[in-house]
Amino acid sequence: MTCTLGEVKQRADFIVYWGGNPAECHPRHFTKYTIMQKSKFLPRGRKDRTMVLVDIRETKSAKAADIFMQVKPGKDFELITILRALIKHQHVGDDQIAETGVTREMLDDLVQRMKSCKFGCFFFGMGLSMTRGKHMNSAALLTLAAEMNAFTKFVAMPMRGHGNVTGADVIMRWQTGYPFGITFNRGYPRYNPGEFSTVDVLVRGDCDAAFIIGADPGATMPQPAIDHLKRIPTICLDPHITHTSKLARVHITTAAQGISAPGTAYRMDELPLPLKPALKSPYPTDEDVVRRINKAISEKPFWLPEGSQPQMITAQV
Amino acid sequence: MLRITGGKIYDPANGIDGHVRDICINDRGKIVDSVDGGRTINASGMIIFPGGVDVHTHVAGGAMNFARAMTPEDHRRTQAFIRTQSRRSGLGGMAPTTFATGYLYAGMGFTTVNEAAVPVLSARHTHEELADIPIVDKATLTLMANNEIMLDQMEAGEYERAKNVVAWYIWAAKSYGVKAVNPGGVAAWKWGSDAKQMTDSIDGYNSLTPGKIVTMLATICDDLGLPHPMHLHCNNLGAPGNISTTLDTLKHLEGHRAHIAHSQYHAYGGDDWDTMCSATAQLAEYFNTHPNITTDAGAVLFGDTVTITADGPWQHLLYKLTGRKWGNLDVENETGCGIVPYTYRPSNLVNAVQWASGLELMLLIKNPWQVFLSTDHPNGGCFWRYPEIIQLLMCADFRNECIAKLPDKIKGRITLPEIDREYTLYEVATSMSAGPARALGLTQKGNLGVGCDADIVIYEEEDDVARMFSHPRYVIKAGEVVIEDGEIRETPEGREFLVKPSYAPETDEFMRPRFEDCYTMSFENYPVEIERIENPNMQECINANED
Repeated sequence: MTCTLGEVKQRADFIVYWGGNPAECHPRHFTKYTIMQKSKFLPRGRKDRTMVLVDIRETKSAKAADIFMQVKPGKDFELITILRALIKHQHVGDDQIAETGVTREMLDDLVQRMKSCKFGCFFFGMGLSMTRGKHMNSAALLTLAAEMNAFTKFVAMPMRGHGNVTGADVIMRWQTGYPFGITFNRGYPRYNPGEFSTVDVLVRGDCDAAFIIGADPGATMPQPAIDHLKRIPTICLDPHITHTSKLARVHITTAAQGISAPGTAYRMDELPLPLKPALKSPYPTDEDVVRRINKAISEKPFWLPEGSQPQMITAQV
Repeated sequence: MLRITGGKIYDPANGIDGHVRDICINDRGKIVDSVDGGRTINASGMIIFPGGVDVHTHVAGGAMNFARAMTPEDHRRTQAFIRTQSRRSGLGGMAPTTFATGYLYAGMGFTTVNEAAVPVLSARHTHEELADIPIVDKATLTLMANNEIMLDQMEAGEYERAKNVVAWYIWAAKSYGVKAVNPGGVAAWKWGSDAKQMTDSIDGYNSLTPGKIVTMLATICDDLGLPHPMHLHCNNLGAPGNISTTLDTLKHLEGHRAHIAHSQYHAYGGDDWDTMCSATAQLAEYFNTHPNITTDAGAVLFGDTVTITADGPWQHLLYKLTGRKWGNLDVENETGCGIVPYTYRPSNLVNAVQWASGLELMLLIKNPWQVFLSTDHPNGGCFWRYPEIIQLLMCADFRNECIAKLPDKIKGRITLPEIDREYTLYEVATSMSAGPARALGLTQKGNLGVGCDADIVIYEEEDDVARMFSHPRYVIKAGEVVIEDGEIRETPEGREFLVKPSYAPETDEFMRPRFEDCYTMSFENYPVEIERIENPNMQECINANED
């Protein structure tokens, strides 16, 4: 259960950042969308809102928070599960609470605040979603937010990073049904993160060419994946010289999106924002390059023999 | 150029009921009196319908895309489209991917679809998705009934300003009309509550009620001369006993045009889930005496689906009932949306009542120009299952076989067993094409007269009605043969229908400060640029008051 950021700006009187450090990683988040904004419903702005930070260490974001709750590393799932029990008045043992590094008093206070707010919001970062437990942690927090709706309005939203990762995710979903980790090797989309994710395909050495747009896996992926990118023909579209462009067999310099190329960026709440270029670029846009490559490929023989029509895969229900 | 000869034509817009005559199509995809040369299709022994028109469906946009993300388990077991030279790959199922959506609709003989719920804020996304739905023509409706800038004007009694705001939003979204979902209720949901009755107060407002919103918004749609009247999803959806809310809503619409969406979900009697029964007879009676109102069935079919609606509070209830996945997405200032996967089971008494109610409405409302085929895709069932509904409407024996499989306790709760009406082909053509096209104000659709769009579907006549309607022999879109012998031959791009209702020029300056107060993007970037619409097709507003 989520909402657009304008809803948080307008209504949220109780905001929890969990496993994220917006003061340093999303520096405009506080001022544009969350705690600092005044609105029709929260006319005193910061004074009308309560902010809680849950993290394993006291980051710079803690200064902005009314309450800082330090959870032991790897105990987020346990802490969320305890909260899910406490909001329903279920019994939780002292030793279970002690394990998380938080006191019962702090938890009781948190639960009381969560229930008495008018509009609560969890923002969760990679400190929750990419640490031990991974998607299980995210799922637990989303469930907690859903269950809170029995008492008051509550939503949850991931704090996403990188340029337009949400945009890629959104378009893959409408074209293939899945957000990432997709293979087309049977001629239709199939999904299995951990098997078909880029990193897994590269580490196994399953692909014999790579086409990379707007990403720098050469800087972030594990060495076996980078080694494979070096082995195979890698084509890279990027306005800049990157680790990937250096190892690529072909680097096509393209215009920078939003600066000299138009387009759409999807914000972390999936709002599409138009990009209007301020400058002209001597380089072609990514779109232009992809269209030209596509055109050249379409002039080659089709992957299926002439006249053959593949069978439909029919529903298995 | 194309000539179709020898087929039996069902063209309700021109009163043609099964006559054999030729149809000629020119190079611009229009139906004409005669052509010289070109291909001839011999349709002897075949049935010819105008291409289907879906008046109410959800095929694109933020909510649908959220549903796709939530249901990977369905994608894996469903129909898959393998890429060929004429089509791209994709997946069918409860929430089909964009390319597959176009292939599935066209494959069933539908050539126009109306995406019935678009928040302006994410309209840019919806249009990008629609551009990826091939073959069919498209229209979109803008969600208005919980827009707080508009509600503020209504509360202040500023009718003219509210009207300008609505017109401004329609053009900002590049849409075709107005959708109202649970008026006032979704605004209240932003605080976790709802507004169920026409006289309820709305959280955050003093004097405004759902009833006032309904009447004012219907008046605005009429005064703006929108080709499609207000498209209303009533308050109190899905709840036992909600027939009183629905009838009360209809009274607030007296003297106006309106389209009531998925009325099956609004036609229940009883006091709670245990006593819930069908109240379709009362609702049908109202339609039978009020020709100014149209509706679509929102029929339910047993099986798995995913429910998607802007009605956030209802989805929260459904989540509590089912304990299944729940997605909720509130959109600042404008609307909300909820997503819950759901399985309709014949053994479940409530589901059985819903199944019967949808069919009852289609059978009890006498005029097929007033009630249209829909499942509120994907809420009541997936659109590609429409042929199953047609079979249930055309064959009373088959219907009775299905009723016999329902639990015994269903007796006395539904009226379906007493109905022996069977739809004729002419009535089916009205309900799936000519009627919805007329209700949408798309005069060139659902009509095989000279000058209209050559959107035509040709069926091989056979006894198995469901099979016949799910496997057309030919589908022609704008004069191009897109489906032939069960194969997709061509995948042309469809058009998008838009209207630009007039509004006072100072509306921009009126909107700006209010917009900046509650939105989080810049005012200049908010309206969708017309250049972003692929193949826009402007439709004229009408002067409804003179009709």
